[in-house]
Amino acid sequence: MKVSVLRRKEPDKEPYWESFSYDGPEENTVAGLLDYINYNDDIINDKGEKTTRIGWECSCMQGMCGACAMIVNDRPVLACEAFLKDFEGQEITLKPLSRFPVIHDLIVDRSGIHESLKENNVYIGEYRPPEDKDFEQDYTSAKCLKCGLCIEVCPRYTDGRKFYGAPFANDCYLVASRNREKSGEISEAYDEHFKSECAYDLACMKICPMGIKLTASMKKLNTLKRETGENS
Amino acid sequence: MEALVIGSGIAGMACAVRLARQGIHTTLVSPAPSEHSESVMAAGGINATLQGNDDGDSVESHVLDTLKGGCFIGGEKAVKGLCEHGEEIIRYLESIGTVFSVDSENKPVRRAFGGQSHKRTYYCGSSTGKQIVSALVMEARRFEAVGMITRRLRLNFYSALIKDGVCCGALLFNDSSSRLEAFYSDFTVIATGGQNALFGKTTGSTLCDGYAAGKLFMQGAELKNLEFIQYHPTTLETPQKKMLISEAVRGEGGRLFYLENGERVYFMEEKYGEKGNLMTRDLISREIYACGKEAFLDISFLDGKTIDERLSEVRDICMKYRGIDIKKEPIPVSPSVHFFMGGLAVHLNHETNIENLFAVGECASIYHGANRLGGNSLLSAMYSGFVAGTEIAGRTSHRKYPDLTAYMEGERKNLKKSFDSKSTFPVFYIRDMLAETMKDDLGIVRDEKSLEAGLSDIGYYLSIAEKIRYDRSVPPYFNYSLKAILTIAGATVYSARERRESRGAHYRSDHTDTKEEYAYSSIVSYGNGDYTVRLDKEQIYES
Ligand SMILES: Cc1cc2nc3c(=O)[nH]c(=O)nc-3n(C[C@H](O)[C@H](O)[C@H](O)COP(=O)(O)OP(=O)(O)OC[C@H]3O[C@@H](n4cnc5c(N)ncnc54)[C@H](O)[C@@H]3O)c2cc1C
Ligand code: SF4
Ligand code: FES
Repeated sequence: MKVSVLRRKEPDKEPYWESFSYDGPEENTVAGLLDYINYNDDIINDKGEKTTRIGWECSCMQGMCGACAMIVNDRPVLACEAFLKDFEGQEITLKPLSRFPVIHDLIVDRSGIHESLKENNVYIGEYRPPEDKDFEQDYTSAKCLKCGLCIEVCPRYTDGRKFYGAPFANDCYLVASRNREKSGEISEAYDEHFKSECAYDLACMKICPMGIKLTASMKKLNTLKRETGENS
Repeated sequence: MEALVIGSGIAGMACAVRLARQGIHTTLVSPAPSEHSESVMAAGGINATLQGNDDGDSVESHVLDTLKGGCFIGGEKAVKGLCEHGEEIIRYLESIGTVFSVDSENKPVRRAFGGQSHKRTYYCGSSTGKQIVSALVMEARRFEAVGMITRRLRLNFYSALIKDGVCCGALLFNDSSSRLEAFYSDFTVIATGGQNALFGKTTGSTLCDGYAAGKLFMQGAELKNLEFIQYHPTTLETPQKKMLISEAVRGEGGRLFYLENGERVYFMEEKYGEKGNLMTRDLISREIYACGKEAFLDISFLDGKTIDERLSEVRDICMKYRGIDIKKEPIPVSPSVHFFMGGLAVHLNHETNIENLFAVGECASIYHGANRLGGNSLLSAMYSGFVAGTEIAGRTSHRKYPDLTAYMEGERKNLKKSFDSKSTFPVFYIRDMLAETMKDDLGIVRDEKSLEAGLSDIGYYLSIAEKIRYDRSVPPYFNYSLKAILTIAGATVYSARERRESRGAHYRSDHTDTKEEYAYSSIVSYGNGDYTVRLDKEQIYES
């Protein structure tokens, strides 16, 4: 199998394509494939030249941490749960996520996701949940990996300065669902940085590896906002 | 006052939050965000004795189970402190929004976990660790927003700044600039997790490698109980790693068996009775090893709804990575390295033998003795973070930072010199060889011969590590961490050789008995390339 990787040495260097031939196990995932290539004594590309190891991030190797998000054959995936057999043809291409600054090869800087949450005070503060807690929704929302796959497919996301995408909305929901007194304040940030721009394309929900039901959170946020509005 | 916390899993975050809450500015550094820490992988639950647990359950009973699981070398005072704070920790976690699984009255529910006399493992569906991490990330963010916690990513521990036995910060390697940064602090807390990399791939995270503990060991910190390594009996083999099949499966009634002439032999139940499948991990691992056959874990008899509700993670792993439907068929399982009871030796307040240097979470060794009970490590990650945070907040610092410029310049030069090379001898190659050695010679069953062989191999790798230059195509961290990882590996095998008995997770085929003379923790120290092991008979770390 031919593997082409869109590589980049450093953030301000030009990207370039490099290909490798893979003869490892067919039942591997893309993460397994990267390990397989990197764990050789010498890394040789398909032209027979010696080259450097492919930079990529991982931690759990089983779809629980979001570190390995990348684009495989134009599909944003978690590499450790993307199976080679699910990609058609004898070639696969690997690219870094395109909505974040590239640090090196397939490694991108996703710290903007965390920065926007911090800057907008998206934290609970005091725990004052509403009477009717929604366990299921709280539970799945809190599973967000901050992997950025949803941002990758969002038609409205541009540079991350105003519209922050689904992970932002998720955490806003979690705050409102745990501190009803903060739901007014948090709704404002949510309106400004998510709702006002969201086109309800919902590609984010389809791609989310954690199956987070963003629409349910949005609905809940609106209800919580109405309720706090009425009470204040 | 300034505190530095290195590692941002549950233990590091718990410590940072506790420090910030008490008005101490804390810098929390790690190579990756908390979402990537091993803590997110914990599935099964967290132990605590709360009002309303089963009749007969009590803090004393939790203490006894923990000490018993640890074969009575876990410090009694330490374990008492841990168990007494279980309720406070669960309440705290609820108060920061952790989504515990609850009953119809909104009370958190419990499940049974191995080696415990009562059901006391609280859980969040099948992602307890992730739910706790998410809650702590938000709580930490609260302090980040007001400037009390400063988070920094892409930073790796390099070494501690130590002068006259006192720690005053750390040298950190910045992945972005490829440079060393000096960070002075009044108190430094290590929260870097277990020593996974010694064994290549384990059930845990690739980010946990034991480097920090190994480097500190080389700088004078003592390590404890390294020989006790928990093999989890039930993991699923996949091409990329061995994946944990949570103990929750056995907690929910899962039955272990192997096949003989096409018949199922429920070996744990046959040998140990009704509760056989809930015996401790070391015992089950050894039984699987001893049977010499492929073992299976069956939960298919449970109703589908309960499986979906309580074991969805296990259901998904089996289906996704092996195409196994656990509602219909048994899971093939085998033991794999899972948890390190050993690590940096710490006193009750979590300070190491180096003043102002603390260690918390899995990289510290204090509660679990010769074996850890499932559900106790999340509890100890939280508790240890709180203990260290409270201790530090109660101290004052009158010190001016010493001048360590010469040391720092020396280290910068060393690092630079080692980059200045065209050698491509890959550090991965040595890491792989080390993992093979560790698996072969420090497996579930050990003996003098295998341990001697392991020591000799590691000695050889260390001699190469001294000579090779860095392969520039590998991230510098992988390269500079090699020697300390090999050193802690050597100390681990050495400690295992010196314990000429069997106890908990340490089983020797040439010394199968548990011996009274060894009923203490082992402490290993380092000097001029040599290891020295002693038993902590005076219990200096129980103070
Ligand atoms: C699959 C699995 C399931 C588990 N299930 C349970 C369970 O149900 N119940 C239970 O009690 N326990 C469980 N455990 C154990 C438990 O998850 C861990 O012991 C615990 O989470 C450790 O937390 P920690 O904060 O000490 O370390 P970690 O969460 O491992 O965090 C370590 C941190 O240190 C950072 N780091 C590492 N090296 C460096 C370095 N050189 N420089 C700077 N930073 C560094 C990492 O990036 C990370 O941020 C499980 C473990 C695994 C692997
Ligand atoms: S919402 Fe889903 S896709 Fe988006 S960051 Fe969270 S886990 Fe990833
Ligand atoms: S490595 Fe954790 S999700 Fe892939």
